Amino acid sequence: MTRINLVLLLALVASALVLVRTQYESRRLFASLDRAHAEARRLETELGRLQLERRAQATPARIERLARERLRMAPATPAITQYVIDRPAAEGAR
Amino acid sequence: MSRHLAFSTSPLLASRTPVWRSKLLVALLALGFATLAARAAWVQVFGNAFFQRQGEVRFARTLELPASRGRILDRNGQLLAGSVPAPSIWAIPEDVPTDDARLAPLARLLGLPLPELRRRLADEDKTFVWLRRQVDEPVAQAIAALKLPGIHQRREYRREYPEGEAAAHVVGFTDVELRGLEGVERAFDAELSGRAGSRRVIKDRLGSVIESVGEATAPVDGRDLRLSIDSKIQYFAWQRLHQAVREHKAQAGSVVVLDVWTGELLALANVPSYGPQARASAGAALRNRALTDTFEPGSTMKPFIAALALQQGLVRPETVIQTAPGRITIGGSTISDAHAYGALTVAEIIQKSSNVGTVRMAMQLQPREMWELFVQLGFGQRPELAFPGAAAGRLRPHKGWRPIEQATMSYGYGLSVSLLQLARAYTVFARDGDLVPVTLLHQSGPQPGRRIFEPGHAAAVRGMLQRAAAPGGTGPKAQTIGYSVGGKTGTARKQEGKGYAERRYRGWFVGFAPVRAPRIVVAVMIDEPSAGAFYGGEVAAPVFSDTVQHALRVLGVPPDLAVQPRIVAQAVEESF
Repeated sequence: MTRINLVLLLALVASALVLVRTQYESRRLFASLDRAHAEARRLETELGRLQLERRAQATPARIERLARERLRMAPATPAITQYVIDRPAAEGAR
Repeated sequence: MSRHLAFSTSPLLASRTPVWRSKLLVALLALGFATLAARAAWVQVFGNAFFQRQGEVRFARTLELPASRGRILDRNGQLLAGSVPAPSIWAIPEDVPTDDARLAPLARLLGLPLPELRRRLADEDKTFVWLRRQVDEPVAQAIAALKLPGIHQRREYRREYPEGEAAAHVVGFTDVELRGLEGVERAFDAELSGRAGSRRVIKDRLGSVIESVGEATAPVDGRDLRLSIDSKIQYFAWQRLHQAVREHKAQAGSVVVLDVWTGELLALANVPSYGPQARASAGAALRNRALTDTFEPGSTMKPFIAALALQQGLVRPETVIQTAPGRITIGGSTISDAHAYGALTVAEIIQKSSNVGTVRMAMQLQPREMWELFVQLGFGQRPELAFPGAAAGRLRPHKGWRPIEQATMSYGYGLSVSLLQLARAYTVFARDGDLVPVTLLHQSGPQPGRRIFEPGHAAAVRGMLQRAAAPGGTGPKAQTIGYSVGGKTGTARKQEGKGYAERRYRGWFVGFAPVRAPRIVVAVMIDEPSAGAFYGGEVAAPVFSDTVQHALRVLGVPPDLAVQPRIVAQAVEESF
C-alpha cells in the first residue's frame, strides 16, 4: 500500500514538473510568435513605405523631366507614330 | 557538573500549571487560525473580484491594434496616397537631463533651436510634452540612438502624396490624426480609415507578451480605394493648365476630363494648386474651383437649346433662321451679336455662336421645357459626386421667368454652373443623347445612361460642334493632330456683385473627341486672363487641344484623321 502511494507521489511530482515546463515553453513560444507578428507588421509598413518611395521616383512629373533633359526625348504625336492594328485582336473585339 | 535529569522527574513538573493558561493558549491559537480562515475567505470569496483586478492591473495590458489607413490608387493601381511611419517625439520634462552637451544633438535632430527646446522642457509640472509630431523615420532612429532618458517616441503614421500638386485637389489631405480634411481623403474617410482592434495580454517582468487573455478584437484595416483618375492624364492636364495660366497671366484655371463611356472622372486639376505637405500657407489655392466655383455658362449653353429645338421638331440642322440685323429686342432689352450674320442655318448659328439665332430658337420653346432640360442635365442640382463642397449652381424655377430671362438663359446668362457640371452635360452629345452620373471610383465597364435626346439629334449637334471647333468656327485652336474634335467656346465678363466687371473675363472651352465615336469630354476654364487674349477660343482651346491629344494617346485610341507622317527615314536608320 505504502509502495503504491510512493509511486503515485513520484508520478504526481513528475507530472507537475512537466506541467510547469510545458507552461514555460508555451509562454516562451507565445512571446516569440508575438515578436514575429510585430516584425511582420513592421515589414508590411516598410513595404508600404518603399512602394510609396518607388512611386515618388516614378511620377509622370519626374519621368517627363528626365526623359526631356537626360534622354533628349519629346512627346509622341500621331504625326510621328506608326499605328499597327493587331488584326486578331481587332476582330475578336468585334 | 551536569547531572542526568529525566523528564519525568523534572522539578518543573512539580509546580502545577493553572488550567486557564493552557485554555488561553488554545483559544489564542484558535483565534489565530480563525483570523487566517476569515482572511482567506475574504480574499478568495468576497473580495475575489477586487483582487483579481488588482492582479491584472499589475501584469495584464490591453494593447491597441491600430488599423492602417487605406491607400488611394489611380485607375491603373498607381499610388496616389499612402501611409508611412512617422514617429512623434515626446518627453517627460523632469527626467530629461539639462546639460547642453546632451541636449544640443537632440535639438539639432528635432530642428529646434536649443533655447526653444529648453523652454518646452522648462515646465517640470507637466508629465507629457510633445517635442515634435511626425518626424521622418531616420530622424526618429537617430534620436533613439541618443538614448536620452525621458525622451520617448510614439508610433504614428503620416500620409504621403507622390503626385504632389498635380493631384492635390482630387486626393486632398488629412490632419495629423489621419482624419480626412479635403478631397477624396475626406469624401471617403469612413472607408479609408478602418477600425482599430484590441487584445488583452499578460506581460512578464521584461515587458514581453507571454499570453493573451480572452477574445481579441481584430483590427479592420481601411479599404484601398481605386479612383477613376488616370495619373498620367491628370499630371499632363495639370501641367498644361499651369503653363496656360502662367502664359496668360491668369488668376486661376481648371480642367476636367471625363470618360464618355463610363462617366469616370479621368482628371480634375486646378491652378493654383498646393503641395499637400505644405498646405498651411495654401489659402485660396485649397479651393477645388472646378467643383466649387460656378459661373454663367454663356455660349456653351447654345448647343443644348439647338438640340432641344431639334428634339421638339421645331427646326432641322439645315433650317434657315434670319439673324439680321444682328439685334433682337425682347421686353425692352436688346440682345446683339458681335457681327451681323444675316440668314444662318441652325448649324451655322452654333458654329458662329450667334446670340440672336439662339434666342429666336429659344423663344419658340416653353420655359418649362427649357427648365426641364436644364434640370435633366444636372444644372442647379448638387452633383451626385460625393465630394466636399461640390456646388449646385443656380437655376431659378421656370414659373418666375420673364421672356427676357428665358432669352438670356438660352445663351447662358442668368444661371450658373460649375465646370464639372458643364463637362458632364456635354456627355449628352458625346453619348448619343443619354447622360451618366459622374463617378470618382474606377468602373469596370460602360455604364447605362438616362436618355435625354434622340441619338440622331445628338449626332447632329456633334456635327455642329465639330464645325464650331474648326476654322470658320469660334474655337479653331482646339484642333489636334490626328483626332477630330468638337466643342464650344465660352467667354464672359465676370460677375461682380449685381453687375459685370469691366475688364475681367473668364474664357472656357468644352468639347469631346473623336467626333464620330467620342471617348472623352474635356472642359477647360481660364479665370481672368490678363495678358491680352481673353476669348475662350484663345486661352482655353489650346489647353483642350493638347489635353485631348495626350489623353487619347494614353487611352490607346487610334487617330481617326489622316495624318501627314513625319517619321524621318534617317531616324529609323539610326535606331538600327
